[in-house]
Amino acid sequence: MSHGGGGHATELYPENQIFAVGVVLSLVGIYLANFLPDNLSMLIGGLLVSAACVAGANTVRKVAAYGLGTGVPSIGMISLGMGTLAAVAGVLIPKALGITYLVAPILTLIIALVVGYIVGRLTVNPVGMKIPIMVRSMTYLSVAGAMALLGFTTAYVGSLEPQAFINGALNTGIMALAFITAGMAILHPFNACLGPNESHRRTLTLAVACGLITWFVFSVVKLDIISMVVSIILWAIAYVKFVKMSFKDACAVLHVPEIPKKGE
Amino acid sequence: MDAVSLAIPLIEMTIAGAIINASVHFIPVGGAPAAMATSTGVGTGTTQLAAGAGFTGLMGAAVMAATVGLSLTGIALILVSGAISSMIMLGVTMLIGQLIYVFGVGVVPAADKCEIDPITKDPQKPYVTPGTTGHGVPTVCFISGLIGAALGGIGGALAYIAMLKLGLSPALAGMLAVGFFFINAVLASYNIGGTIEGFHDPKFKKMPNGVIASTVASLLFGIIAVAMAL
Repeated sequence: MSHGGGGHATELYPENQIFAVGVVLSLVGIYLANFLPDNLSMLIGGLLVSAACVAGANTVRKVAAYGLGTGVPSIGMISLGMGTLAAVAGVLIPKALGITYLVAPILTLIIALVVGYIVGRLTVNPVGMKIPIMVRSMTYLSVAGAMALLGFTTAYVGSLEPQAFINGALNTGIMALAFITAGMAILHPFNACLGPNESHRRTLTLAVACGLITWFVFSVVKLDIISMVVSIILWAIAYVKFVKMSFKDACAVLHVPEIPKKGE
Repeated sequence: MDAVSLAIPLIEMTIAGAIINASVHFIPVGGAPAAMATSTGVGTGTTQLAAGAGFTGLMGAAVMAATVGLSLTGIALILVSGAISSMIMLGVTMLIGQLIYVFGVGVVPAADKCEIDPITKDPQKPYVTPGTTGHGVPTVCFISGLIGAALGGIGGALAYIAMLKLGLSPALAGMLAVGFFFINAVLASYNIGGTIEGFHDPKFKKMPNGVIASTVASLLFGIIAVAMAL
């Protein structure tokens, strides 16, 4: 049910490159969201954190093209499951240990790497998944999920300070919203585009659109008018581009040349 | 907190992960073929079914936990509440699916992986359409699904109780339990690798691998959760 159809289409950019850019941008976004004044944290932080969703969606594309056997959503959901743990632990462990809360994004990154690597090993060893890039992909997905979760919640709260984060993001349930919106942004692009005619450019465009609409959802929740307007305009540009691309590619499939008749 | 009050939740979470993983193996998952009524089970993926039932269980457990507290009777009631909520959710899902298969698609519920239904003793093979691997939700799959849902609800509730015991707020405990549930449910679904009919399916014998994987993953999750609560 989750076959990538014709396997891997040619890549526009290497996976590692997109992943590195996504993680660096989202890390910068999280710190900016923390340091910038409250009215700018969603505008700048949200935009930069959308990159984590794109990085995650690109990794999902890479790994799910092998055919997971359980549907593309499963890997998006496990990535967000690991991401929740890493994001919450990254904020709360500094408080428990009594160190500065500014290490939270780095700590989240490290915990996500460790958890992703171990769960990835588990899917290969006792469970027996036969995908060669499984461990690497699980590690990447765990990091992307954690960065997206921590990023959007930090952009909402405007601070990484544990008590403010607990009151603003955890006890209000914003984390649950981040779980499902970021999850959809990570798993949806490839799930929607997979098939024999899948192209990297189209999947990435949809991934960008999904990241931007996640940002829009958080802007609405925060009632930040400027972010709402900016994000919906950017989303509309990306989405219109995606729809045009889909029409173009669909046309390419519809207008196949006539099959030569037998005996000709 | 002292060592004992940290160790008990850790053990509870490890057990909860193993139970959640085992529970998924009982649920009749048909995947995309079942959505076209060419395979036995409910027509969606493992993750979605397990998550639907598991979250309902978690909600049931959370409501009960807010009412009764964490005494010994309270814990028993929370576990039962989780199990019952989860069973109702999956039972309704299977029943409505069954109605659609029988009256909408027009197929006879029949299991492909057994000659006669172990519970009703009805013959199954003659009713399986050639070229398909069964269709609908036969009695054995329904019962198996209910057992799985009960286990899933208990597992989710146990994880929630463990996190409450660590002193986390109910909102935080619920959120972490959701993440915890997803990790274990997806590990189980990778172990199954697509579709399963229930406890009579040969794939059910692969369960120990999944349970081992979940035990290790849950232990890791538990250690990080304990570090948060120090």
